[in-house]
Amino acid sequence: MSECAKYKDRMIEAHYGELEPGDREELDRHVASCPECAAELAALRSTLGLMDGRERTDPGAEFWDGYWDRLSRRMLWESIDEGRKPSLVRRFIGSLAALPRWSYQAAGAAALLLIGIFIGGRLIAPAGGPVRETAASVAAGGAGVQAAAVVQAGNFVERSKVLLLGLVNSGPAGADAYGLDLDGKKAMSRNLAAEAPALRRALAGRDQKRLRGLVAELEVIMMQIANLGSGQDVEGVELVKQGVDARGIFLKIDLDRMGRDARPAVTVPGTPGTAKISKT
Amino acid sequence: MDENALIEGMTRGDPRAFRELVERYKKKVYYLALDMAGNPIDAEDISQEVFLKVYRSFSTFRKGAKIGSWLYRVTYNASIDHLRKRGAAPEPVEDSVLESRSQADSGLPGAVPSDPAAAAESSQLRDRIDRALDKVSPQEKAVFMLRHYDDLMLKDIAESLGLSIGSVKSYLFRAVRKLQKELGRPALISGNGDIR
Repeated sequence: MSECAKYKDRMIEAHYGELEPGDREELDRHVASCPECAAELAALRSTLGLMDGRERTDPGAEFWDGYWDRLSRRMLWESIDEGRKPSLVRRFIGSLAALPRWSYQAAGAAALLLIGIFIGGRLIAPAGGPVRETAASVAAGGAGVQAAAVVQAGNFVERSKVLLLGLVNSGPAGADAYGLDLDGKKAMSRNLAAEAPALRRALAGRDQKRLRGLVAELEVIMMQIANLGSGQDVEGVELVKQGVDARGIFLKIDLDRMGRDARPAVTVPGTPGTAKISKT
Repeated sequence: MDENALIEGMTRGDPRAFRELVERYKKKVYYLALDMAGNPIDAEDISQEVFLKVYRSFSTFRKGAKIGSWLYRVTYNASIDHLRKRGAAPEPVEDSVLESRSQADSGLPGAVPSDPAAAAESSQLRDRIDRALDKVSPQEKAVFMLRHYDDLMLKDIAESLGLSIGSVKSYLFRAVRKLQKELGRPALISGNGDIR
């Protein structure tokens, strides 16, 4: 490598002030005595000076102020749980719109029949066989932890429901816009949101997919509540309400509760009371 | 909330920590995505992807690393994925001209000056620069943008993008050389003729 090549290689670093002081002095001495390198350095500075003229377009204060709301809304709509694909569900629901009315009635009747058979089967099933199978799987390892996670998740869901009911049943009438202890609710939401990741991880089984999804949705909502603005934050509360409504959260909570109630109870070693785990 | 408290909060799953992280880094993430993707709609989309990914997988954050560096890397990877999905085709020049014109008309900050001659000159310069940047590979562009506009040290860029310092220097050198060529300046070539 020629003398000049060595110095040309150092010019960019020198421009950005990243050359060691000794190397910088050496480069300066060379450039002072070499017209070709001096021209090269001038050209480099000219190009980079031109690039300084490129400004990143600032999208503006309104964009930045609404950034969090848009992000949290997207988080609500997107599945946190990797297993679920809400866009496919939406597409499926969209395709139903094209069907004739009689098909809804027939599908409704069939669904009611299936639900009846399912619930009946669960409630009337003899305590022996399937539960023994479940007990065997508990003994096989891991299921006890799962069952404990289900109990904890049920508790989490119920506490979230109480909190959400307080929020959605409040209205913006009166001087105290929501007449609710928003700070207290934010603190509760923070705790719930912090509990959720461990619960999601513990609900690892395939048969816990729905409950895991519900916990994930509630987690995002709790995070949204925990991050509401100071004071009443009417707009933020409305956003949460819309999210809860749009996602049918209360219906999902009730379905989850029904599902858990319908399952046979199994005692979980080391946990107070009983846990209900599904038949495998 | 300092960096350690932020990391601790994120590890605990504290939603305030996540909000703080978003508020603190949203501009850096958005601007790198904007530099890489070239348009504001994709930039916001990418930046949201980044924060969703951070939220979902903070457990993969390496202890002792800097959150800022990690976020740059996640943004860089998300941008590359986005460009791949888009077919890595450079945006047609006509579109970027239109975009810069509409931004100029909108009166947004950073728009061109009100003097028509200066506005035209500024618009032309922006087009020239955008065209020049289109010739630079995504890797070279990321390194150049982080060094030139975000003022990151070369070693920090190396840490952020998971590259060796030698590779970072090489990408920067190539980016500057291509920009010089495209902007009508003499190319910066090593004495032995190698592109560094």
